[in-house]
Amino acid sequence: MAATHAQRSTREIFTTLEYGPVPESHACALAWLDTQDRHLGHYVNGKWLKPEHRNSVPCRDPITGENLASCPQAQAEDVAAAVEAARTAWENWSGLPGASRAQYLTRLAKMIQKHQRLLWTLESLVTGRAVREVRDRDIPLAQQLLQWHAVQAYTQEETLAGWEPMGVIGLILSPTFSFLEMMWRICPALAVGCTVVVLVPPGSPTPLLLAQLAGELGSFPGILNVINGPASLGPILASQPGVQKVTFCGAVEEGRVLRRTLAGQGAELGLALGAESLLVLTEAADVDSAVEGVVDAAWSDRSAGGLRLLIQESVWDETMRRLQERMARLRGGRGLDGAVDMGARGAAAHDLAQRYVREAQSQGAQVPWPVVVASPFRTAKEALAVANGTPRGGSASVWSERLGQALELGYGLRVGTVWINAHGLRHPEVPTGGCKESGSSWHGGPDGLYEYLRPSGTPARLPSLSENLNYDTFGLAVPLTLPSGPEIGPSPAAPYGLFIGGRFQAPGARSSRCIQDSKGNLQAYVAEGGAKDIRGAVEAAHQAAPGWVSQPPGARASLLWALASALERRESAFTSALERHGVELKTAKVEVELSARRLRAWGARAQAQGHLLQVAELRGPVLRLREPLGVLAIVCPDEWPLLAFASLLAAALAHGNAVVLVPSGVCPIPALEVCQDMATLLPAGLVNVVTGDRDHLTRCLALHQDVQALWYFGSAQGSQFVEWASAGNLKPVWVNRGRPRAWDQEAQGAGPELGLRAARTKALWLPMGD
Amino acid sequence: MPSSFCVFKYFFEHRYRHYQRAGDCDLSWISKIQVNQPAVLRRAEQIQARRMVKKEWQAAWLLKAVTFIDLTTLSGDDTSSNVQRLCYKAKYPIREDLLKALNVHDKGLTTAAVCVYPARVCDAVKALKAAGSTIPVASVATGFPAGQTHLKTRLEEIRLAVEDGATEIDVVINRTLVLTGQWEALYDEIRQFRKACGEAHLKTILATGELGSLTNVYKASMIAMMAGSDFIKTSTGKETVNATFPVAIVMLRAIRDFFWKTGNKIGFKPAGGIRSAKDSLAWLSLIKEELGDEWLTPELFRIGASTLLSDIERQIYHHVTGRYAAYHDLPMS
Repeated sequence: MAATHAQRSTREIFTTLEYGPVPESHACALAWLDTQDRHLGHYVNGKWLKPEHRNSVPCRDPITGENLASCPQAQAEDVAAAVEAARTAWENWSGLPGASRAQYLTRLAKMIQKHQRLLWTLESLVTGRAVREVRDRDIPLAQQLLQWHAVQAYTQEETLAGWEPMGVIGLILSPTFSFLEMMWRICPALAVGCTVVVLVPPGSPTPLLLAQLAGELGSFPGILNVINGPASLGPILASQPGVQKVTFCGAVEEGRVLRRTLAGQGAELGLALGAESLLVLTEAADVDSAVEGVVDAAWSDRSAGGLRLLIQESVWDETMRRLQERMARLRGGRGLDGAVDMGARGAAAHDLAQRYVREAQSQGAQVPWPVVVASPFRTAKEALAVANGTPRGGSASVWSERLGQALELGYGLRVGTVWINAHGLRHPEVPTGGCKESGSSWHGGPDGLYEYLRPSGTPARLPSLSENLNYDTFGLAVPLTLPSGPEIGPSPAAPYGLFIGGRFQAPGARSSRCIQDSKGNLQAYVAEGGAKDIRGAVEAAHQAAPGWVSQPPGARASLLWALASALERRESAFTSALERHGVELKTAKVEVELSARRLRAWGARAQAQGHLLQVAELRGPVLRLREPLGVLAIVCPDEWPLLAFASLLAAALAHGNAVVLVPSGVCPIPALEVCQDMATLLPAGLVNVVTGDRDHLTRCLALHQDVQALWYFGSAQGSQFVEWASAGNLKPVWVNRGRPRAWDQEAQGAGPELGLRAARTKALWLPMGD
Repeated sequence: MPSSFCVFKYFFEHRYRHYQRAGDCDLSWISKIQVNQPAVLRRAEQIQARRMVKKEWQAAWLLKAVTFIDLTTLSGDDTSSNVQRLCYKAKYPIREDLLKALNVHDKGLTTAAVCVYPARVCDAVKALKAAGSTIPVASVATGFPAGQTHLKTRLEEIRLAVEDGATEIDVVINRTLVLTGQWEALYDEIRQFRKACGEAHLKTILATGELGSLTNVYKASMIAMMAGSDFIKTSTGKETVNATFPVAIVMLRAIRDFFWKTGNKIGFKPAGGIRSAKDSLAWLSLIKEELGDEWLTPELFRIGASTLLSDIERQIYHHVTGRYAAYHDLPMS
């Protein structure tokens, strides 16, 4: 009977020529779940950990709703057990030669290869993503990631000399991220010698399976531990002793909350937030190909979030027609079907989009798509302004066949990744990350490795949490200053005022603070800067920034060198200013000399930045650009008043940043002396120096939404406040947590760490072919 | 819909198409066009992996693919005997018992046409007549495959083939004109081919492997359609690069754009290098995805192939019997 049915169907299909189901058997995924009696646990220290009395969450097939297994929700003690395992494993793992770690990663890649069917059916079954997407893209990429990072581990002693692994890394994944996001981050962490605890949302068994595969390699249990639990366990994970860094992938608001919660905690925080992408379609584009890019970015299962679509007005109608035509042909369905474009996730986004389109059309309004927001632009310049006028800075694609236009847009977009005439390409060798509110955590490429490294000899991070720090009042009030005796200043007297916009200005508060010398005598009055002065300084810096960025590195270098010469010319003035603060003459001379040398060294380094990556599958290069952060605020340490000032300033300027500095609180005079030289040498507004109460100025800078990065060298409390306040615009911050730094040492005063922090990476993909 | 109506509609459309399309050569349709090769390559890769058909669907699709085949022999050693055998195979492409088993034996399944060199047209017409078949005979022409002969002889070649009874003419374009950007001259030549064909269908071979870039492929497609081609065809099968997916995507997009501009549906014929049943399925799904179901008829889609048919028959054999066929189980073509 079945046979005749089949015959009839063939006859029917011969006429209709429709698609049929192409089901992928998921028997092996179910069989694997059966090995755990459909009750998953955590995978810790190379073993399944199934604690009693935990709330369990069902893991469901998103399409049928069928209950596949149950997952326990972790509690604090499970987190502690996992961290303990990772910490124990770290002692062994981090000490291994890179070659041994490389071997392990290669073995794990082979392990994935051997069990790939299980992996892809399981992933597709529980996430509902199209199986083709997982099978043809995710699994091969996971293997490539392991292999590429194995090579990095192998050459680590040579290429990453001077850096050491941080320690235990916590990784928190939100439910919308696939297991691939985990691979992107655990690969570099494991490669450089860190061990990992991954906190995955309950109901996502693929990371557990990967941990099991890694654990079954035997030799190093505990380097990869996976626990199920809500993201709210994040702070608990971060506060475990030994956890040195927490990387969070998830929504922007969650990231903000976590940033505030973890202020002052031991672990550093890396944020990779949101997954929205941008697509700029110009009139010089291959519109059909661009439409494919839109479809991929918005409705395929490889898309992780929403899409903002900017279309040049002249091709708006044409694009919309093609887009609608293309969308009508998309097939949705069960993820495990081999002939669908969209699994559950893509289909849901698509349905939602269509519903809104219908509603909008019936109301005669413009189409407000929840996942794809399309808006027209007139010129490429306008497109840049519109694209950059958002708080997001993840990824973007530019569609234009005109090379000049494409490059102009590619360089101008303030995002982490730009694809020219392509969308969503990824490769282990190419760093991926973002800027602005998309977070400044990186994965892939060299930048991904540095995420889990610190300069050798850096002490482990310990919590410096001050429970009674009141964020609302920290640095709010400025102490009053009254006249306190005659000034016995240097001769000629140091300039008075705040150095803003290239000249000395009176402070907005019209009051001053006194600076005492080492003997307790009043040395000088300096201007008392406040919120308005910070506002002015940041504005001035923003005005100067575009001009400085467009300067070629050579021009930057020569200005820094000129500044160094000026410093040397006035060596006696600087040494005497330093001497008055109790610095010995010899040391003072060294400090001035070193400061000049730092300016020269960074000037020279300005020339060599960024490089070219050659990606195997891609014909054409990927440019790894190092772009300035924008307006960088620096609160200098009290110690080494000239050297620290010059070192930080030089690194910042060499990388193209415009700067607002708060000089040493106890000894601001040398910095103000430098300003005298800068007034004649540097473009106005490029460097702004504001003296005053450090806590107050720090507060103003940290809360300023238009300050793009902040370096703070001061008290532990100040550091904690800076971390807390940075949640506002999610600016990257670098704080010392009250620890002094050896500014006169090459590694700490002028090491590669400064260079890494002074610029951000952008990957520019340039596929070629005609 | 009754089949007689279909036939009527078919003729009606085709009679009128020539006149409708006798438009001017509008170079603005090709002047702004941009084709990004890497992006098209990615799409081509995707589309092959995205659509699979299995089981009954596969069998039905393969049978359908048979009806799109221009069964071809274009060899120097063609004689009337092997052309005759080819014509027989065109009339009976799949073993009768296999068709019965699939209950499609009453569908009159044949290939779409037989395609031969001009000198063999008479043989083919005679053989098909003897077999009582109305399968059209297609002839290549215009100095196939290089097209490097005088325009006068190329035109004469078309006329002679039509006289001999060919109802479809596969002409090759003059690549020199494309590579030197003489689009109007190319248009004029194809217009003359069109005229020389009379009532016969004109299939224009672009020889895409020799056009240099995908942008040129798009432009040549558009010019060929503006000049009145009924089909545009990828390649002669004699170039080093034949029917590839990226090229097809570009040509199909041109066909769709032309349809949007004029309302005329132009056919598409990939040829060369399509040998396996699996390939043919991918081509069917490509048409379905890029142009839609309306293009999946022999009037608008052909596959130029010689060995493809035997592989399809082999797959059908396997589908019906569950066994892989021995070489001698299936008649040769």
